[in-house]
Amino acid sequence: MNSPTPQFVPSRLSIYEPIHQIGIWGENFKRNGNPNTSTSLIVEVDNKLENESETTSHEMLAPTNNYEQEASKPIDKIQRRLAQNREAARKSRLRKKAYVQQLENSRLKLIQLEQELQRVTQQGLYMGGVSEGSHIGFSGTVTSGIAAFEMEYGRWVDVQHRQICELRTALNAHISDIELRILVKSGMGHYFELFRMKSTVAKADVFYVISGVWKTSAERFFSWIGGFRPSELLKLDPLTEQQILEVCNLKQSCQQAEDALSQGMEKLQETVSSTVAGGPVAEDSYIPQVATAMEKLEALVSFVNQADHLRQETLQQMSRILTTRQAARGLLALGEYFHRLRALSTLWATRPPEPSLP
Amino acid sequence: MQQAIPYKSWPLPCIDATSHRARSTTTLGHNGRGKDVLNIVSENAVIVLARKGCCMSHVVRRLLLTLGVNPAVHEIDEENEAGILNELGTICKGTENNKMVQLPAVFIGGRLFGGLDKVMATHISGDLISVLKDAGALWL
Repeated sequence: MNSPTPQFVPSRLSIYEPIHQIGIWGENFKRNGNPNTSTSLIVEVDNKLENESETTSHEMLAPTNNYEQEASKPIDKIQRRLAQNREAARKSRLRKKAYVQQLENSRLKLIQLEQELQRVTQQGLYMGGVSEGSHIGFSGTVTSGIAAFEMEYGRWVDVQHRQICELRTALNAHISDIELRILVKSGMGHYFELFRMKSTVAKADVFYVISGVWKTSAERFFSWIGGFRPSELLKLDPLTEQQILEVCNLKQSCQQAEDALSQGMEKLQETVSSTVAGGPVAEDSYIPQVATAMEKLEALVSFVNQADHLRQETLQQMSRILTTRQAARGLLALGEYFHRLRALSTLWATRPPEPSLP
Repeated sequence: MQQAIPYKSWPLPCIDATSHRARSTTTLGHNGRGKDVLNIVSENAVIVLARKGCCMSHVVRRLLLTLGVNPAVHEIDEENEAGILNELGTICKGTENNKMVQLPAVFIGGRLFGGLDKVMATHISGDLISVLKDAGALWL
């Protein structure tokens, strides 16, 4: 009796064909069991069929000794299919593993972001309301303005770092001036972006900007009206004679402008101080004095804006005086300088505690 | 022969509103302040118009002083502010500043130069001194 060659590729066959062939196989199996190899074949093919058909017959699938030659082809096919199945299952497990890994990472990131947001909100609350003990209704907008700024500034610092690395690579690679010009322009534009951000948050809470609490501690040490001194921009490299003269003039103008602003700030301090202190102390009413002082403090926003304006103008004048390459080096030096200040701050914050006295 | 100096070049350090009120009693009451201001502006090589007690005007003054210019400073009271600004606005329409005049406002050579922004920018770019010289506010 010839058994038909079973085309055991269940995916291609309808469910009825295997059953028909199973029937035939089953008889063969009953007669000639092939215990070793057949068992596993039964189990695996069995699983496959169970997935694909509603009925199962457990008896039939092992090829018999009689039909080994013809049966060897089906066995190969079965084995190959089983191997492919194993492979597919393995890949599927790997993909699942990768997906779960990615989910875990996203979850961690989300937790970090939530913590960051909470920290920032708390800091905003601290700066905007609690410590000064006033503007209770006001602190909502102040807080959100500050929180928004802190997030943006964090991103700004990251982009700044990336730009510095790009500049460094570009300068070492000796790329063309045209390409360098693009980097210089985007570097300067990045600073201008910061000034815009500061202007927005200054309207929400000018004390926040001026206090420099958004910067790291070492940067804050050098803070001047809510940022770096414009004259910091003028530490420069090899210059031609003509440039030396121009930079010298720029240094002088910059210093004069800085001094003028500083003196204006002092005047503002005097004014606010005398306003707050004014009026009869004997009476317990300070509201008019404090209210007037509030108005005068509005001027602080102008000071922050003017200081940033000075930083911007100095940067632009520098870019006019210098060649593209010099400007790139200057931007790199400036960015690297602030980067190192930030590193100094981190080092300072993590310094070992003072040994306690015996 | 010495060249005539076009504008009054020894402005009193703090020309305040009172002295000018006394001077221009012939002007009409309604536009009194505005006309006063126009007179002062045209009579001084450099003059700073500012609100009373404005610290920014202090900054402008200090900056001009370091350049060797002693600018006149005219302080504007709050109640006169709107009127004066309007008056100035209509005059300055021809120039680049089509927006409202911002205080403190600096006038050089009888014309509106700009606010502190403009003064700073011009100073940094190195052009301020020549502008002042052209207006006769500086020699040397």
